[in-house]
Amino acid sequence: MTIVRTDEPGSDLALMADFAARRERAAGVLYDRFASRIYGLGVVMLGNHQAAQDLVQDTFVKLWRSADRYDPQRGRLETWVLLTARSLAIDALRRRVLESRSLQLVGVQREEDPEPLPDEQAAVVDLSARARRAMGVLSPEQRSALELAYFGGRTTAEVAALEGVPQGTVKTRIRSALLRLRAEMAKESGR
Amino acid sequence: MTCDEVRELLPEHLLGTLEGPEDLEVRRHLRGCAACRDEWMKLEEGVSALSRAVHDEEPPSELRDRVLGTLGEEWEETGRVPTTSVPSRGAGRERWRWRAFAAAAALILVVGSIAFGFAQGHRASLATTDAQSYRNLLVALGGKDFRIGELRPAEGSTMQGQVLIYDGDPSGDWSSWAIVFAKVPGYTGSATATLLSPDGESRALPPIEFQEGDGKTWLVTYVDLTRFDSLAVTSPTGQVLATAAIEHA
Repeated sequence: MTIVRTDEPGSDLALMADFAARRERAAGVLYDRFASRIYGLGVVMLGNHQAAQDLVQDTFVKLWRSADRYDPQRGRLETWVLLTARSLAIDALRRRVLESRSLQLVGVQREEDPEPLPDEQAAVVDLSARARRAMGVLSPEQRSALELAYFGGRTTAEVAALEGVPQGTVKTRIRSALLRLRAEMAKESGR
Repeated sequence: MTCDEVRELLPEHLLGTLEGPEDLEVRRHLRGCAACRDEWMKLEEGVSALSRAVHDEEPPSELRDRVLGTLGEEWEETGRVPTTSVPSRGAGRERWRWRAFAAAAALILVVGSIAFGFAQGHRASLATTDAQSYRNLLVALGGKDFRIGELRPAEGSTMQGQVLIYDGDPSGDWSSWAIVFAKVPGYTGSATATLLSPDGESRALPPIEFQEGDGKTWLVTYVDLTRFDSLAVTSPTGQVLATAAIEHA
């Protein structure tokens, strides 16, 4: 698979303009660049591969529908894509919870997701282990704050209430966690 | 806003949980402060590092064709304007769209079915029960409103039913849903439900396929549905079978 890197804001803008203009090559470049992380996010947040595949598809459809709103001055394309995917995953989780509650109210058993195949289970376990290792460089407090904010989409006020600490502490923990991960990745790539 | 204040808010700004005026203030500050922009870029690299370290997983190779095929369908079926996604009759298309919409529709199907079934035998207390359950759902879901309408049969028709609309977030982050339940005893065939606005705009839902008198259809869309305040159900020959005025639940 060819991976085309277009990290500069200008080329991101051009890429999104091409995507908005329905150029299949641009769609392919975006897919090659981001699909694995959207898919991984789906596996981590939604817990199964089918839902993760749906998340990738839904994210790309949404990205296309909002492609003309992308503004590189407001952040990297990568961040925008990841937060779009995260928002859809949170939406899916919220619907899942509500569906489950509604069915319980009327005494109907929720249809379970299909049992994952052994290799799918192994992949989830592997990804979870990798995630634990990567987050292992953070303190438990940093990890918890970052997980709630990033995967849970919680505001710092909500994280503060959940953790029972001042909001300023949560902000510091998230900031420190992100800078620590950045430093660790830089160290890794320098090896 | 000072640099220290902005830097304290940067994580929330970055993760998209900072709201309204503060977010605008941060944006404005960043445009004119290279030092804070530098800090912001470091945090963005932190998010990038997080995503690569924690959730980078190669998807199945066939997913690429599926996603690009979906975009191709989207481009073929729509104009450039963001528009409705609806279940279609194509078998392959039907399958993936069902999966995509099933989670959203299931909740409404359950709640709507209950409400419609309830209406058959307990019409007197319907309004109170519906309104409360929809208000509860709205609180849980967010979004703007739940609206309902009762299908009233046209002359010579026996159609009964209900239309339910969930008006989501108009910014497009959450979809809006419309769902129609209809009953025509003994009827097997199709009908079309169309949302209507006071200024003459219309939006058809996918066809209702009746099986032994019961039929339903739904629409999940990022288009704002608030302007539609009535619904008409027509036969394949265009004859009006029922109409509904849609009001706040």
